[in-house]
Amino acid sequence: MNVSIKDSFKKDAIYSVVSWIALLSLYFIFNDHGIQDIITKVAILGLFAMSLNILIGYLGLIAFGHATFFAAGAYTLGLFLQSDFIIEYNIGSWSIPIALSLSVLLPGILATIVGVICIRLREIYFSFLTLAFQMIFYSLILALVGITGGDQGLMGGFPKPPFLGIDLGIHFHFYAFTTFIVILAVFLMRQIIESPFGYGLRMIRDNHERPAALGFNIRSHQLLAFIIAGSLAGLAGSLQALLDVGAYPEWAFWSKSAEPLFMILLGGMQTFLGPLLGALIFELLNDFVSANTRYYGLILGLVILIFVLGFKKGLLDWIVIRGRKN
Amino acid sequence: MLILKNVTKSFGGIIATNDVSMKLKPGSINAIIGPNGAGKTTLFNLITGKIKNDAGQIFIEDKNITGLSELQITHLGVARAFQITNIFPSFSVKESITAAILAKNHGLNNIWKRFKDHPAQEESKNIAAITGLDEVFNIQSDELSHGDQKLLDIALALAMKPQVLLLDEPTAGMGSEERWKMINRVKDLWKKTNMTLVFIEHDMDIVFNVAQKIYVLHQGEILAEGSPKSIKNNQNVIDAYLGGGQKKNEST
Ligand SMILES: Nc1ncnc2c1ncn2[C@@H]1O[C@H](COP(=O)(O)OP(=O)(O)O)[C@@H](O)[C@H]1O
Ligand SMILES: [Mg+2]
Repeated sequence: MNVSIKDSFKKDAIYSVVSWIALLSLYFIFNDHGIQDIITKVAILGLFAMSLNILIGYLGLIAFGHATFFAAGAYTLGLFLQSDFIIEYNIGSWSIPIALSLSVLLPGILATIVGVICIRLREIYFSFLTLAFQMIFYSLILALVGITGGDQGLMGGFPKPPFLGIDLGIHFHFYAFTTFIVILAVFLMRQIIESPFGYGLRMIRDNHERPAALGFNIRSHQLLAFIIAGSLAGLAGSLQALLDVGAYPEWAFWSKSAEPLFMILLGGMQTFLGPLLGALIFELLNDFVSANTRYYGLILGLVILIFVLGFKKGLLDWIVIRGRKN
Repeated sequence: MLILKNVTKSFGGIIATNDVSMKLKPGSINAIIGPNGAGKTTLFNLITGKIKNDAGQIFIEDKNITGLSELQITHLGVARAFQITNIFPSFSVKESITAAILAKNHGLNNIWKRFKDHPAQEESKNIAAITGLDEVFNIQSDELSHGDQKLLDIALALAMKPQVLLLDEPTAGMGSEERWKMINRVKDLWKKTNMTLVFIEHDMDIVFNVAQKIYVLHQGEILAEGSPKSIKNNQNVIDAYLGGGQKKNEST
């Protein structure tokens, strides 16, 4: 028994390492900052979408306010790197690792508070409550001008001191580091989804009435899932902040929460990597369509219509189901 | 031993359970009969803590479980299957039973193991075998026949290793032949374990054949209780059901 436990774990670990090496190779194959940056962005947005899909695809709860945690991660990182704290305590080369850790931790704490209240409800009530928290958070960012820069966002950039030989100022370093962190997070997520805990989520999605009669406490399970999803969204937000050297209130606006929803719709919610593929489609649409026309929203809307009405599911779900039939 | 003392529950104006007292012998097989709306399902909901009673007390052995939550009562050894099949559609039989075993042992909190490699998968095979689900072990629940879904619902309850098992109309929606097959399986299960079993059933033939003790429920009250023989000869029961034909429709 023990052997096979290690086997599936090991297999995923090998996939992860191979994927990372493949992405590093792509960097040199496409010797073009534009394409390289698209890959970085897809990795970050894919992580954001996959974190939301823990709730949507596996737990069956549609959260409308997921960008709250994305923005919380971004602002945490930015504010920490801008703070005097770093100079006072001479943190120097540890500041990026500490900032990233905090950008998982603080959104996780925020998700605990929001989650305790929201997971009491189901369906549309849950969805709207998460949205309500997001609007409060957005308003706070706008109101606390002294800290957040209000509607201008975090101004003036922040330092990115090298650590462990990694200098995020160097384009390749940034690319390799970001893809590494995302793959690590996806690997962890995979472990969680395939664990007994992950099957507990699927049970709740399938039937939330029955678990109590099986001695299964779904409240604490849902809360933990909400915290994990929020923490990972925070991580995605902090990577986005590193990429853009800033943080913006739009990241906490409701339309930012719609983005991962679109990605999930495009890529598929039943397949583990579906949202990641969705992020790629979303980003490609974004880059190519908005570069060539002003009708980005129209095109995005049409593409989503085609997926929802035509495939009746996300692309990867569609492919996997077709593959099974053949 | 499961004991109910003067348990009462009303919903708004409707008294669903009216001063019900029961004493179920350990290891016995018992039936509850009564027309639709008599309060049978409500009684199970009260015993399992799914809903709270307004008055009266419920005990398992010497432990007063009145007011405990459904979760707590499940962990104290009361399990149930539902009148309307209550399963996990996207799970295979194997996954469903494994998940139920893990739920019972607080194993669903584990993040570090792999569900598919969990030793509980092996244990689930045994439960599938005793419920007759071994042939459909790898089939997804929502693709099972109605009868197998009913069996799976019971298998989930068995995964709790209960002291008291409550089956709400295990033969609902089945033809006569299938009913007997199901009830014989239930009886076999009961014989193999030392559970106290209570089942709700409409078919009088089945009830008289299988149960050691019968409770007749009528508008939330116990109209009669006793051995099959004594129930057959009980004048109240004859008036209400056996002799009078279709009187039961009036009570709903
Ligand atoms: N949750 C509830 N809310 C309101 N009324 C209920 C509820 N559950 C049951 N009842 C009512 O209680 C009575 C008994 O119902 P039930 O226990 O389901 O009957 P049975 O299982 O014997 O058919 C019915 O009149 C039913 O409408
Ligand atoms: Mg009923």
